Amino acid sequence: MAKAWLVAKREYITNLRRPAFLIAAFGAPLFSVVFMLLVFNVLMGALEEDSLGRIGFVDLSGVLADAVEAPDNFTRLADEAEAQAALDSGALGAYFVVAADYMNTGAVTVYSPSRIPESVTDTIDRFLLANVRHQHGDREVFNRISSPVEMVVHLKDSGRTLDQSAAGGLFLIPSVFALVFFISIQTSSGYLMSGVVEEKANRVIEILVTSVKPLELLLGKVVGLGLLGLTQVLVWLMAIVLFVAFGGEIDFLQGVTVPADLIAITLLYFFLSYAMYAGLLGAVGAVANSEQESRQLAGIISLVGIVPFFFISAFIFNPQSPLVIALTLIPFTAPLSVILRMSLSTVPAWQLVASVLILVVTMVLALWGGARVFRWSLLMYGKRPGLRDLWRVARGQTGARMGTAAVKEQSA
Amino acid sequence: MGGNAAICAEHISKDYGAFRAVDDLTFEVFAGEIFALLGPNGSGKTTTIRMVLDILKPDTGRISVLGAPLNEQTKNRIGYLPEERGLYRGVPVLDVMVYLGALKGMSPKEARRRSLALLEQLELAEHAKKKVNELSKGMQQKVQFAVTVLHQPDLVIIDEPFSGLDPVNAMVIKRLLMDMRSAGTAVVMSTHQMQQVEEMADRLLMINRGQQRLYGQVDAVRKRYAAHAIIVEGQGDWASLPGVVSVEPLGETNANGAGVLLHLDERATTDSVLAAIAAAGDMRIRRFEEAVPSLNDIFIQVVEAHHG
Repeated sequence: MAKAWLVAKREYITNLRRPAFLIAAFGAPLFSVVFMLLVFNVLMGALEEDSLGRIGFVDLSGVLADAVEAPDNFTRLADEAEAQAALDSGALGAYFVVAADYMNTGAVTVYSPSRIPESVTDTIDRFLLANVRHQHGDREVFNRISSPVEMVVHLKDSGRTLDQSAAGGLFLIPSVFALVFFISIQTSSGYLMSGVVEEKANRVIEILVTSVKPLELLLGKVVGLGLLGLTQVLVWLMAIVLFVAFGGEIDFLQGVTVPADLIAITLLYFFLSYAMYAGLLGAVGAVANSEQESRQLAGIISLVGIVPFFFISAFIFNPQSPLVIALTLIPFTAPLSVILRMSLSTVPAWQLVASVLILVVTMVLALWGGARVFRWSLLMYGKRPGLRDLWRVARGQTGARMGTAAVKEQSA
Repeated sequence: MGGNAAICAEHISKDYGAFRAVDDLTFEVFAGEIFALLGPNGSGKTTTIRMVLDILKPDTGRISVLGAPLNEQTKNRIGYLPEERGLYRGVPVLDVMVYLGALKGMSPKEARRRSLALLEQLELAEHAKKKVNELSKGMQQKVQFAVTVLHQPDLVIIDEPFSGLDPVNAMVIKRLLMDMRSAGTAVVMSTHQMQQVEEMADRLLMINRGQQRLYGQVDAVRKRYAAHAIIVEGQGDWASLPGVVSVEPLGETNANGAGVLLHLDERATTDSVLAAIAAAGDMRIRRFEEAVPSLNDIFIQVVEAHHG
């Protein structure tokens, strides 16, 4: 087993130094944070730049007689002629006229040389609303009319409480979790697979198997690259925790916390499904003849993992439906399903236990069968074994008919 | 079968489906010898090597390596360089060597020390920190060779040790292999380069279509294929010598005159012809040797005999 540890250490260190890994592990979270900050800033900036400069208003109704909460760039003008002159001279970017019968009709006419940005109409809306409310007293009634529901959602099952502004974050967190989870698993098991393909191509595999037992070799790779994936998850988790900690500045992240039970479940599912994918993709790497071919095969296997995203509406609106329960139990879709459900509501204990158990059993089978296929097909260059051969080998029958009895376990 | 054999293979066979790749081979390789494994492409050399190394299991027969069926302990005493080899590309030379050395049971410190010493010996010391793919093909070959012998194995198996090497580098590798033989290492080399075999190998096994064709001491094999003829250079009436049936001029001429091949009758021997030349008195010889065919000729003869 000492040699398996050497393999693990080597796989961890060499892959950790890969530029591609560094970008994925550290660059991507950094990029995401920078990108989000940039988007917010640009959005804020865009709102301001979108304004048309000074905006004049002519009040024929009296609603704005003693105007309150006037935005800085709003200017009162005596009549339409004056306003039109100011617009022509360029002193104003636009002006609006509040009709005399405004209280009955709500008629407001805007004059502008170009399109009116939404931000400007919003500002006009708010300005008029504030003044109607100001003039006509009863604030409570107006507040309710303008914003009838201030919702606080209490999730009875999980005991989580979220106010309305956190609803966006409710989806953000599981999505980010799922993304991190899959990128890590794909990175690790992808490296495992391409490593095996490379060693087969350059024949280093022959030197390796004449130094180490094939099973020790596979074990070392699985452990080393698993630790690598875990490193990536931890970096991302730290980034998320930091992001949420500083997220107080950002509206939709207020009130969102990263629950400890979600982190624990994520890590558990990470270990289990990584080991499952490692077994499967290790076998794929051993069977495939080229990097390209192995990527295609691996792509199909890993695509299944993100299927729950296609049914996200079922997860939100109907979390106890048979479809959702099935996706929770199928080992390939279980990780994402459970993470989604845990963040949105809760998963009944029996489903969680059943899901973990099925995943454990599948993982053991995948590793065991994967190791056999790995041992058997390592040295079959240029000839791809048929599906039936693989099935026979994975089940433990020898591949005598293929001409290689390599599956026979080493006696020593 | 000798107890001190580095490899002892008894009646090993291997089928790939209906194709018999190796057919009932029996051979031994001893410590302190260079053993050549010869045969045309697809004759079963690589399959034989893979069975010796327990990469493939033989369908029938038994193989013991360093005194026992191959196990994890003996793996540390074997150095193997496969054909069509490569190394991890984007990794520094020294790192690759230390890793593969450690997998053979060396401590990292010792692996590092030995690696640097070998790189020095192979004139690659300045490239130790470079990545493998930054080296020329010949340099990579030498690094691969260094990896094979890094842990001072008792048994070295090399598939085509000289392919892709220029004459200078081939000489460096050859010397190292000869040194290892002197130190008691068993060296198995599979090759097509007959001249190297003639110069280096003590014994050989030639296989064709998976079957043994020739096996034994290199000199003995060549003698067995001797044409019962003598090569001489000099002046004289060669045809007049007793026992000489015919005189065949050889293509190679030099300043001393043409060499000829004297075909002898059944009773004549090398000694009797030499005695006759000495007795004649008027003949001059600058070269006199038994006409032993080159391994190359024997190789072609053996292969064609079984294809014809």
